[in-house]
Amino acid sequence: MLSRTAEYLYWISRYMERAETTARLLDVGYRMSLFPNPSGYNNEWESVLSAAGAIEGYKNKYDTIEQKNVEDYLFFDESNPSSVYNCILNARNNALVVRTSFTPESWLAINKTYQEILNLKEQKFTKSDLPNLTEWTIEQVNLFRGSLSSLLRNDGYNFLFLGLFIERADNSARLLDVKYFVLLPKPQYVGGNIDNMQWSILLRSLSSFRAFRWAYDGNITATKIADFLVLNNNCPRSLSFCIQNIVKHLTNLRCSPEKVGRIYNNLKDLNTKIQEEKIETIVEYGLHQFVTQFIRKISSVDNEIHKEFFN
Amino acid sequence: MYQSESVIRNHYNNINDWLDQMTSKVILEKNAEAETHFRNIGITFSTNNETARERIIPFDLIPRIFTYTEWLRLERGVIQRAKALNAFLADIYNQGEIIKANIIPKEIIYKKKSFEPSMFGFSPPRDIYSPIIGIDLVRTGPNDYFVLEDNCRTPSGVSYMLENREIMMRMFPDLFHNNRVTPIDDYPTRLLQTLMSLAPIKCENPEPVCVLLTPGPLNSAYYEHSFLSDQMGIEMVESTDLFVEGKYLYMKTVDGPKRVDVVYRRIDDDFLDPLCFNPQSVIGIPGIMDVYRTGGVNICSAPGAGIADDKAIYIYVPEMIKFYLGEQPILDNVETWNCEKEQELKYVLDNINELVVKEVDGSGGYGMLIGPKSSKSSIDEFKTKLSTNPKGYIAQPLLDLSFSPTLIKNQVEGRRVDLRPFCLIGEQAQLSSGGLTRVAMNEGSFVVNSSQGGGVKDTWVLAE
Repeated sequence: MLSRTAEYLYWISRYMERAETTARLLDVGYRMSLFPNPSGYNNEWESVLSAAGAIEGYKNKYDTIEQKNVEDYLFFDESNPSSVYNCILNARNNALVVRTSFTPESWLAINKTYQEILNLKEQKFTKSDLPNLTEWTIEQVNLFRGSLSSLLRNDGYNFLFLGLFIERADNSARLLDVKYFVLLPKPQYVGGNIDNMQWSILLRSLSSFRAFRWAYDGNITATKIADFLVLNNNCPRSLSFCIQNIVKHLTNLRCSPEKVGRIYNNLKDLNTKIQEEKIETIVEYGLHQFVTQFIRKISSVDNEIHKEFFN
Repeated sequence: MYQSESVIRNHYNNINDWLDQMTSKVILEKNAEAETHFRNIGITFSTNNETARERIIPFDLIPRIFTYTEWLRLERGVIQRAKALNAFLADIYNQGEIIKANIIPKEIIYKKKSFEPSMFGFSPPRDIYSPIIGIDLVRTGPNDYFVLEDNCRTPSGVSYMLENREIMMRMFPDLFHNNRVTPIDDYPTRLLQTLMSLAPIKCENPEPVCVLLTPGPLNSAYYEHSFLSDQMGIEMVESTDLFVEGKYLYMKTVDGPKRVDVVYRRIDDDFLDPLCFNPQSVIGIPGIMDVYRTGGVNICSAPGAGIADDKAIYIYVPEMIKFYLGEQPILDNVETWNCEKEQELKYVLDNINELVVKEVDGSGGYGMLIGPKSSKSSIDEFKTKLSTNPKGYIAQPLLDLSFSPTLIKNQVEGRRVDLRPFCLIGEQAQLSSGGLTRVAMNEGSFVVNSSQGGGVKDTWVLAE
């Protein structure tokens, strides 16, 4: 497989995953805007922007934080590299170059998405309908992911999934980092209105709202939520699930065992740690520090993948 | 489709019945379906303007049909021509017998920009310079087919031939139950076989590694490049994916370097090797020509193959067929006046109102004058051009191209068409059982080029 092809495949799934994350964040913001503003949390859109890593770009463009502008900036804006539009555009441009490396269905899934978002963009001023837009995005990303199931299980497949899980690990960790204060230990159960709202934001933005209830019995506690999102291997967005899958797709690569070995060596400590750690220890040590280190590690693994395979 | 005013040619009867039973609502729906399909699969033109939407070529639902016997003649004629063009290339880059025999004057060959001096004395595998040839044909009467143009470099359009058929089969399966249409979907397999049969001498691999070299996504034929490499299961590479080391060509893969045996290039000569052709070029693979000449890789088509489809050389193709193959040409050229010759120039200037004047190096329907359809001022403009640079032009009569029924605003109307079938020459010579039919969508127009409002149709060859 061409190095360039591997790189493009890797980025296609990163972009598609990012499109979904941005859409989910928008959805969370939208829900919050329908609730009465509790004092102290009156600008949920700001935290949506910072979770999307777009707060700086947004503030360069707009003076005040308003729903309409946030929606536009995160969904359609061409100057925001992580807008849903740009993610889809980039995924599609990459797919155009490597369509030979995946199935016609995968290409169709991406290209149809692109054709449709062009239409949506043309109509955006007449018909702004955020819930439909976010639902549509999630649907399209699912269509793409579904199409991957008919791919040959070759290195291209593994690069696609490496990209997906690197992006997801990064997105989940960043969301946790923006909201880590919700999960700080408190003497009482989580239960106040504000807390309820905050943890539901976190879970919803990680598409784990209902899953959490099914995974844990009894009372909702901050520790349980933290455990779910950091260490639970059944939760497909937890940090530990992402790391496990990064390791899996990395070691499944059939090309260059020495390259795979070098990257794996860098990763294996984190993997072991996260599989064995107790959430109480992490919380005690400092969730924020833990997440920050995690983000740094993921970014160094990403750099290594680029250096070893794509150059 | 029509023999005369109201008599339908036999092999179109089925299609006529089919058309009769389609309501305009169905036609509208099917047109929209085709457009969506083409957009979805991405068979579009890229434009340099990133924000503009990509364009698609208008697709006409009514197929163009050839009978088995009609096609047999075209097949023989095109293959004959393709063989002669390759023999011509082998000759002029080696002994130059056709020049010694005074059939073609040497100036018009050796002074052309498309003539590649560095190819002198080198013979590519099997002496095939141009393994993929697209011959543009027009029909002016029941059995009168003429060759309008040869394309020996990197003829494009074959993806339309294949996709037009796919969409027709998908939208109108019944048509294919009721008509015996020869399939064409084995073209990519045959193309790959052709390329593999042209492995370079130093290739020891029983299954030579072929790649398709594309200039990249901004090229207007990019869809075709990715489509063909996908169908053949070979890598589509850009020049930055390739490099030369120790007399071989390699591509950069995740496993490290992998040797490449055959390059099906879809980029121009100028951009192949900056060391050899255009030192200013930022694309290209430094040293590839050296590897090529020492038998480490084959480049298809060969650099310098373009001389064979030069409009000034075109005039001599019937002579080539006689000279190299000892046969009579099966397909005729369109009568052509070579403005370089004083007498012929005079004729052209005197009759310019009746003629089509073309630039020797022009393509895509640009840089031409259609005498009977042009204003006095543009005719005068061309007269000046002809007098100052006669070498740069040829002239042909305005051919009454055959009409093919075409759906225009839900009505069946006649529109002019041409045809480009694709000929493959490697271990064996073969012609696609169909081709790309281009149609001039504007009423009265003679120009079928997609850059100027041309559309495309599915092209059927009926089985015996």
